Amino acid sequence: MATKAQSRITPLTILSVAFVIIWVIIASFPFLWTAWGSFKVQGDFFSKADWTNALIGTNTIAETGSAFTTAGYYGAWVQEEFWRAVLNTSIVVFFTVTISLTFGTLGGYALARSGYKYAFWLLMAALVFRAMPHITLVSGYLLPFFEWNIWGILPTTIIVLVAINQPFTLWMLHSFFLNIPKDLDESAMVDGCTRFQAFRHVIIPVMWPGVITTGLFSFLLAYNDFTVTRMLLSQENETMIPKIASFLGSTQVQGNVMFAVAAVVSATVPLIVLIIFFQRQIVSGLTAGAVKG
Amino acid sequence: MAEIQLRNISKRWGSFVGVDNFDLTIPDREFLVLLGPSGCGKTTTMRMIAGLEDPTEGDILVDGKRVNELEPKDRDVAMVFQSYALYPNMNVYDNIRFPLKVRGIDPKSHDEKVRRASAMVELDDFLHRKPAELSGGQRQRVALARAIVREPNVFLMDEPLSNLDAKLRVSTRAQIKNLSHELQVTTVYVTHDQIEAMTLADRVVVMKKGVVQQVGTPTDIYDTPANTFVASFIGNPAMNLMDGELKGGTFHAEHVEIAGFNAPDGKVILGFRAEDAGLGDADHHEITAPIYTLELLGDATMVTVRIGRELVAVRGPKDFRAEIDDQVSLSVPKEICHLFDGETGQRIEA
Repeated sequence: MATKAQSRITPLTILSVAFVIIWVIIASFPFLWTAWGSFKVQGDFFSKADWTNALIGTNTIAETGSAFTTAGYYGAWVQEEFWRAVLNTSIVVFFTVTISLTFGTLGGYALARSGYKYAFWLLMAALVFRAMPHITLVSGYLLPFFEWNIWGILPTTIIVLVAINQPFTLWMLHSFFLNIPKDLDESAMVDGCTRFQAFRHVIIPVMWPGVITTGLFSFLLAYNDFTVTRMLLSQENETMIPKIASFLGSTQVQGNVMFAVAAVVSATVPLIVLIIFFQRQIVSGLTAGAVKG
Repeated sequence: MAEIQLRNISKRWGSFVGVDNFDLTIPDREFLVLLGPSGCGKTTTMRMIAGLEDPTEGDILVDGKRVNELEPKDRDVAMVFQSYALYPNMNVYDNIRFPLKVRGIDPKSHDEKVRRASAMVELDDFLHRKPAELSGGQRQRVALARAIVREPNVFLMDEPLSNLDAKLRVSTRAQIKNLSHELQVTTVYVTHDQIEAMTLADRVVVMKKGVVQQVGTPTDIYDTPANTFVASFIGNPAMNLMDGELKGGTFHAEHVEIAGFNAPDGKVILGFRAEDAGLGDADHHEITAPIYTLELLGDATMVTVRIGRELVAVRGPKDFRAEIDDQVSLSVPKEICHLFDGETGQRIEA
């Protein structure tokens, strides 16, 4: 039921709505521009003569006979086998998220319920590792990885990404667990659960938004990582982001840069879908502090 | 059927003593109330019975069997938490059913048991609601139903009424009393509210700073408090206590003179209950003092005077009226008085 006060349109509402609309347009412009341009040829999207070419597609029409072309996508996915990178990224992301969430939930729960002082120092140590630049880990590992002959393969990268991500998941899940009253575990244990069953049947269902939110951040870290994947993966095992970078690095070949544009769009769309899909859990995860048990 | 024995149990965290040498046998079907101010160790004692806390010393026996090493789930106790601890992701039905489910009880019997338990606490209409959609009193009843659904040997209740408003507290209290009568299960009930203790208990354990002060029926602890702490904790208003000196069987303090005691001379604390005393008359006018304040209660008038540093209240007739600072004489015959040692606060039989 909308009251009179809520439904009244004031200059302030108009102003703030207008502001939000403008902001959304500005914020999404780079992506929309890229998405639109990915269906053009390089001559249009990188037109020095006239920027409107990128919108209308003058050269695209001249070269392909239509205002839109999927040449960039074809080049990236088929010719340059971008699907391999997608597959590699999927593997890396899946295992990074799974492993860091498994250790994160168990460890975060243990730290949240532990009465000992070392829990605090463990978290402090985790924070220090979290604060370190990613490249410091990589440079230290490179030599041993070469020596042990495990450089260039996906499992090595996964382990390093987990190592980078774990402190953060531990922290985040730890604070989510702190928000869940201890009474819940104890009640479950008196009701007949073991400690682990209480965790599994009572705490995790309540924690779900927190797990999803943390999982999403872990996902983004692994998905968007450049430093680690660039340094640690051989060419055939490359994930999407270094692959896109290598497309961009080969501008001397006409059209290749359009592969990069098409690949960027291909890499962004799943993110949008994912966030829309988990939107409810993410919001309740981010506001978990306001929810009482 | 369960008799609980607590044999000299203590709980310490470093140098902090939570519970000190608690020794008590709770017979089968008794309703025992642990009473004391916050931080007195009553909840810790209950948590040790539940298995949520390990005693530092001593043994806990249920039906003669030592249970110290048993997990909470293997002790066959049910507990109602102060915060109710309902599972927010399950509806009322699943909350009540949860203990049956995790204990692997024949699924065919679940529905009947859940419905019987929910009927006992009048929750039948709310089975499909989530805890968040219930009022405080309803949540409390879900917690009760979840505790009774699997017919445990021992019931533990940790201040179950403290989050309810005053009116609901009275009706829920009556419901718990009735329920315990019907179920006939050994119950340990923790509270800081002496009225709950008086109304519900078969026996009351009064605790202070981890140490048991007195164990007895509500009548015992009300009529013969073992020390000044119990005396001042039980009853509303609390027992009047005043410092004074006993000389030749007569208690002396400023404005006060009460004769007829049979106890050795020395510093003592004298206590009496407001409702036992009254306004003075020709025979009894042990206290004569200016009125400190006058409170109208409707059914009575509380007359308060100041003796030394203590305020002493007496229940007078409801039509009694006077001004502050008027002299008043109060009747406090020897028979209604309790004597306590001036140093230790322990009861002196006189």
